[in-house]
Amino acid sequence: MRADPLTVYVVEDDASVRDSLALMLGLANYRTALFPDAEAFLAAYRDDWTGCVVADLRLPGKSGVELQAELRARKSALPFIIITAHADVPTVRAAFHAEAVDFLEKPFDHAQLRAAIERGFSREGRRLQRAADSAKLGALTEREREVLEHAAKGLHAKEIAALLGISPRTVEVHKTRIMEKLGVRNIGELVRFAVAAQSREER
Amino acid sequence: MTTAISPVRYIRDAAVFAPCYIALDWASYIDPVGPFNITPWNPQPALAIVWMLLGGLQHTPIVLATIFVADLLVRSAPGGYFVMLLTSVILGGGYAVIAWILRELLGHAGLRSSRQLTLFCAVVVGGTALVGGAFIGALRGAAQLDESSLPAAWLRFWIGDAVGILVTAPLLLAATDGERRAGLLALARRPETALQVVVLLATMWLVFQGLGGDPRDHFYLLFLPLIWIAVRGGMNGAIGATALVQLGVVAGLRSDTVPAFPVVEVQALVAGLTLTGLYLGVMVDERERATEGLRESLRLAAAGEMAGAIAHEVNQPLTALSSYGQSALALLGGGGMPQPQLAAIIQKMLREANRAAEVVRRLRELFRTGTTRLEPVPAEELAAAIRRIAQQIIGTRAIGLQLRYDANLPPLYVDRLQVELVLRNLIANAVEALSAQPNAAGGAIEVLARREGDDRVRIVVGDNGPGFPAGRERLFEPFVSGKPTGMGLGLAVSRAIAEAHGGSLEAPPGARAEFHLVLPCAQTR
Repeated sequence: MRADPLTVYVVEDDASVRDSLALMLGLANYRTALFPDAEAFLAAYRDDWTGCVVADLRLPGKSGVELQAELRARKSALPFIIITAHADVPTVRAAFHAEAVDFLEKPFDHAQLRAAIERGFSREGRRLQRAADSAKLGALTEREREVLEHAAKGLHAKEIAALLGISPRTVEVHKTRIMEKLGVRNIGELVRFAVAAQSREER
Repeated sequence: MTTAISPVRYIRDAAVFAPCYIALDWASYIDPVGPFNITPWNPQPALAIVWMLLGGLQHTPIVLATIFVADLLVRSAPGGYFVMLLTSVILGGGYAVIAWILRELLGHAGLRSSRQLTLFCAVVVGGTALVGGAFIGALRGAAQLDESSLPAAWLRFWIGDAVGILVTAPLLLAATDGERRAGLLALARRPETALQVVVLLATMWLVFQGLGGDPRDHFYLLFLPLIWIAVRGGMNGAIGATALVQLGVVAGLRSDTVPAFPVVEVQALVAGLTLTGLYLGVMVDERERATEGLRESLRLAAAGEMAGAIAHEVNQPLTALSSYGQSALALLGGGGMPQPQLAAIIQKMLREANRAAEVVRRLRELFRTGTTRLEPVPAEELAAAIRRIAQQIIGTRAIGLQLRYDANLPPLYVDRLQVELVLRNLIANAVEALSAQPNAAGGAIEVLARREGDDRVRIVVGDNGPGFPAGRERLFEPFVSGKPTGMGLGLAVSRAIAEAHGGSLEAPPGARAEFHLVLPCAQTR
């Protein structure tokens, strides 16, 4: 369900570390984009970027954690992994408060980095799924949304028709439209979608 | 509040305590009121109190018995056995209560802070007043003393006991504490101490004999050597000096050549002298400890700062090495023999290994320069070093270097390696500030060296960057880390090096980022 391929954005000022990370991640079949500092990243940044940022903590100019805060302020939910050669507790706290996926101390275990990137990607995948779902829901008309709500409760077409004061046939037509718009194949999937959307709204 | 103690130890302690107590009582039985132990100097209660304070209250029966026996031996039981038994219980019980309160308040901490000293003095002065009142009251009750002599007798007992304890107890406490005892012995071996003792004895001779007249008139003179000794030797010095003064007063009292003087009044002055000395000593000690603590934490801070910087410097190449290694493995696992790619990666790994080795080499250099060895270094050589360092740090960046110095600059008198470290650090800072600029092109570092006065050279390292961020003075504090530095040496360490040369490192206020390093140079006329 990925709209774009997910990318690992590496922000690291040390040329050797940047180069070696790019090589390693590339060989592991990740798409990578490299930046020497936070300012270069922000200059290139676009809202539709998806994937995971791997940023060094100590950078010339803005630090990795400051970059993370800046992106959060711009309403970006890009997952962050902070890497550092040595860190103190307050910095780690700040990173996790901004919902960092992980905080790795150099030199780190590469399995750890890969696992963190995968966690970031799956978080990103869920976020994209949610965004797609709510876009689909947004395409429904007011009446269609009402029908969907009742269908999610397990009501039959006749019962929905009675509740809404329309004919059961019209309800069937609405149901077909809804299934088309949401891209589901049967009533079972429709109910699952509706329940999932509802539980997200309640949260 | 009793400490478990073996019977053998108990008897052994008692066998040491009792004769000492009786000997002290005998030696200090001077100028009494009537046939009783009402004298202006009583050191023996200090012995009893310190023994019970350190050993526990289970010694109280021994103390009671010893007081009784001492009265019998030294004064042949004045007032009869019953009165003697009663007064022994009053004295022994009173001293036990004082010891118990001190034990509760001070524990085994001894007299280390002015708060502890205040508690000690208050308990001793208050406690001896009460014990004295009970003792005199009991004698009066047994019709042994006249109504009219009561106030004088009480005052004499009080001052005698209070002074005895104030002078003797700190000495005994110090003698029983291993660390303190070592300090006292070390102090005694200092040549200065001998001079201090001579001056103190001479002053006492002046006060009691040399100047003639009432010793109270010139007693204040004794404060001068006391202050000298306490300031130089702390609590240990004060304890020794007051004990010496007390012994001198007693010797004067017993001597035939020293004119008679009012003992009680002089003893009151000794009490004042003792309090002054002890407070001064404890404050000197406290300050000394605080300074030592500060020095220690600065040392630790510098070490921590360096450790962090070193970790950063070494971890970068290690991270790259391990990523390249991982990549090489992945390439090998992919089958086939991607020879050229592998060769390129291995080349990069070797470069990173060299980089790590370079960090370690610089680290060794730093430790080799642990002690400052000053030698004349010609200005040209230092200028060449600055050029070399700047080139290394600037690398391929578009940053210029301007280096200007007086042609007739004398040779600097410095430790070459250490000063190079400082310059490297300052230049690295400047390069870093310049390359953090969005428009790094046109950045320039300027190094100026000029003569200052007869024997100083001022080296100014500046750049045309944005100037310092806020908090200029905090630049030099360890742990206030801005950016990673090229050397990984904090400005705090650089300043320490400059100061070890008798120079300085400062960042004077101004819009420009400038560091002023002042170093000594060879004197030329």
